Amino acid sequence: MRKFRNSLLLLVLAAVCLPQTATQLVTPEIRRVGDKLACKCGVCNNTVATCQMLECHYSLPARQKIATLQQQGRSDDTILASFVKESGISALSSPPAEGFNILGYLMPIIGIVAGLGAILLFLKKSKQYRIPATVPPLDNEMLARYKERIDKDMAKLE
Amino acid sequence: MENLGALALILAFCLSIYAIAGSIIGKWKNKPFLVLSAERAVYSIWFLVATAVGILIHALVTGDFRLSYVAQNTNHAMPWYYKVAAWWGGQAGSLMLWAFVLSTYSAVVVYQNRRKFREMMPYVVTVLMVVQAFFLMLIAFVISPFNVLMQGKGIVDVGDGRGLNPLLQYWTMIIHPPILYMGYVGFVVPFAFAMASLITKQPGDDWIFTTRRWAIVTWFFQTTGVLLGAGWAYAVLGWGGYWGWDAVENASLLPWLTSTSFLHSVLMQEKKGMMKVWNMVLVSATFFLCIFGTTLTRTGLVSSVHAFAQSPIGVYFFTFLAVGIAATVYLILDRLDYLKSESHMESVISRESSFLFNNLILLASCFSILWGTLFPVISEAVTGEKISVDGPFFNRVNIPIGLFLLFLTGVGPLIAWRRSSIESLKKAFFWPVAVSLALVAGLMISGMRHPYALMSFGLCLFVTATVFGEFFKGAKAIRAKNGMNFIAATVELTHRNTRRYGGYLVHMGVVAMFIGFTGAAFNLDSTVEAAKGDSFKLGRYELKVRDISDSENADYVSRKAAIDIFVGEKQIDTLYPERRFYKASQQGTSEVAIRRQLNEDLYLNFAGANDPKKAVVQAYVFPLVSWIWIGFWILFAGTIVCLTPSKIRMQYARTEVVGIARNYAEIQK
Amino acid sequence: MFFAAAVLVTLVILGFTLFIRSKDLPEPVPVSPYHHLEVRKASVYENLRDLQFEYRVGKLSDEDYQRTKLDLQAGLAIVLAEIDKLKQLEGAPAPGGKSKAVAKKSDTKSDTKSDTARVCPHCSAKFEKPLKFCGECGKPMVTEAG
Repeated sequence: MRKFRNSLLLLVLAAVCLPQTATQLVTPEIRRVGDKLACKCGVCNNTVATCQMLECHYSLPARQKIATLQQQGRSDDTILASFVKESGISALSSPPAEGFNILGYLMPIIGIVAGLGAILLFLKKSKQYRIPATVPPLDNEMLARYKERIDKDMAKLE
Repeated sequence: MENLGALALILAFCLSIYAIAGSIIGKWKNKPFLVLSAERAVYSIWFLVATAVGILIHALVTGDFRLSYVAQNTNHAMPWYYKVAAWWGGQAGSLMLWAFVLSTYSAVVVYQNRRKFREMMPYVVTVLMVVQAFFLMLIAFVISPFNVLMQGKGIVDVGDGRGLNPLLQYWTMIIHPPILYMGYVGFVVPFAFAMASLITKQPGDDWIFTTRRWAIVTWFFQTTGVLLGAGWAYAVLGWGGYWGWDAVENASLLPWLTSTSFLHSVLMQEKKGMMKVWNMVLVSATFFLCIFGTTLTRTGLVSSVHAFAQSPIGVYFFTFLAVGIAATVYLILDRLDYLKSESHMESVISRESSFLFNNLILLASCFSILWGTLFPVISEAVTGEKISVDGPFFNRVNIPIGLFLLFLTGVGPLIAWRRSSIESLKKAFFWPVAVSLALVAGLMISGMRHPYALMSFGLCLFVTATVFGEFFKGAKAIRAKNGMNFIAATVELTHRNTRRYGGYLVHMGVVAMFIGFTGAAFNLDSTVEAAKGDSFKLGRYELKVRDISDSENADYVSRKAAIDIFVGEKQIDTLYPERRFYKASQQGTSEVAIRRQLNEDLYLNFAGANDPKKAVVQAYVFPLVSWIWIGFWILFAGTIVCLTPSKIRMQYARTEVVGIARNYAEIQK
Repeated sequence: MFFAAAVLVTLVILGFTLFIRSKDLPEPVPVSPYHHLEVRKASVYENLRDLQFEYRVGKLSDEDYQRTKLDLQAGLAIVLAEIDKLKQLEGAPAPGGKSKAVAKKSDTKSDTKSDTARVCPHCSAKFEKPLKFCGECGKPMVTEAG
């Protein structure tokens, strides 16, 4: 639940950034870069390109900034770098795959592979399965003894 | 009054401790009076918690602004039903909702089984009451909803409160939290039976048969709760999405994934006595993920749109989780012998192995979501640098997982239990694969290039074909034998095994939802600033701003646009997106205008205005979104079918019971 | 006022929880000693029924059908054998030799009780002899607590 004070702040900020609104805010070029940037408004978990919150105090100015930098002819990477310089790695929508953060990408894969391994192990084990000694081995005689009863019951099934 | 409420909670806490002790000692020393007394305590707790709830609701509705909880969550101007809903608007109240739902479930369980399962019931009561005691402790001693506002030594009445966030003043928000809680709390019951069965080493799988309905019903509540949240986000928040991979949304999805997995895996135990350990693990994981979800929401571990502020209760939650998980793991490990499989897998190509993969996929999705949610916290702890893990991460992992799950949904029903030969699979798969490949080819010819979308549509048709095939072939067989007409034969078929065919219906609901999710690949949007008379294009629509008007009433000021929608030359509709500013809460909201159609929604949001003559309008086209909500209703119908008793269940068992009866009769002679 | 209410609520609750007469003790629903085996048998029959149906629908090849059917029947025979073994242990089929459980039952039963035990409380079918389970509907005959 958003706090009352936050919402006031949001409104004030919105009022500041709204006058910059131009027609056709999200161009495909802005979207391309914005998809790699996290919206840091603090309440959503979207990217700058996909945040669709009203008067978002982060993604709207960020899109403006991307547009301005693009007009100056900057490359995508330098635009991203300038965001990172301003507010740290958390400006990126997903961390760069280096150092400890590689683990972030690897873990789900490790999980799936481990699960697959467990299933294969299970299948292999059940292939070698022998009926444990505690259960009396079933001979044909025993089956024959119950056969009549089973057949009678089965006839009733349908 | 508030003193009585607080007293009731403290008394309830003491009784829950008494119930735990009474059950254990009563069972141990074989004292049926003590066991019964512990069960009576469960009813008493329900009465006490209900009394406390009644007092809180009375305070909320009458506006007793001496209570800090009332002052923080209501104000005079709110309609009565939102005042009642403010019960779960804050932290203390929502924990009280947990306690209340749990006490109700516990009372129902104790009543239903008052003469059954005398071996297990004391431990069922113990597990239920341990959880109950934990939540009662929190609301009785740590964050009581009955705290009054004090100044010096005097109680203060602030006169009017802060009110409920206007965004939350929407009908789904009244029922979303209780339904979600009913889903999450409900899983305590299967968990309690599972643990009791484990403790007493029950022969057989009674805990599964007894809690089957609980599991299905609570699973349905979870699904409904999650989708209500999504529907609210779509219709109210104005960002046009229904899912944002927000930490709390994720937390609500985690137990849903494990419980879905449990519902499937449990079939293997019912049919073949396999996977007993695994089912114990799944039911425990679901329960602890429910608690974990509550932890995430209530303690502010990760920042989120839903989370309440940081609070001291985090420590309690983590302690409870740690102790609970440790105890469960110990119990399962200690009883591994008792959980031995009664049978084994005959073949790799079998229904059993399709369930194994279904479990793997659901858990992989659960794990990746949990990991993605917690990774920022972990990474910050390790590297000291904040990072963001947003939508793209979750989508990258979960879209392929979701598609594979859809594939399994189609494959599963075609494979027989125990063993299938490649030949019969070829026969069974031929038509479903053929039609879905034809669909994919057709879509590609018509210009669709999005790979995931193509796969998704293909798989949706594949699953639909297999499900319809199941109904068709089954009904045909019954018709051939009984000479019924086709519809009667289909009903007969479903009635014979409601859980299976209801399950297929639920799968169809999921297919409809996937159609809706896939539509997101083709979303269109445009943001324009338009004056009266301006027009702009979006997709096949031509939108023309006819009018912009201001109005004001006691609650809010508003600005509304009237936008005519044209397709070609023809006007098809007029939409009125509106922007409001609430005076009391000083908060702006947007009343989005949605033209809902089966093929696509046109979604207009009045985003703001820079000068009074112009409106900033965000316009979106969301293809196929309606199918998500249609899917929910299909799923609902399927769940109802699942819960209907099957027609000829246990008929065969009866023959033998007659046999036993005859034996007894002979003995009596 | 508050004190009166508080004392009243506390007393009522404690009284309800702690004051139990012996006639309040519930008589447990009788459970067949073979209950878990019955359940297992029921599930094998269910599997057999399923198998038959799936075969008729054409989901299985002849060979798979025969093999699986044999497997299931073998499993069923094991369960039936276990039930018979249990019955032997209880002394049920042995003529004249009353099992412990049954002997206890018949001792505690008064004559009027035997009468009620001859009429099924669920489907009102009548039997010549008192039964533990109804021969018509299969539900336990002795359910009433009194």
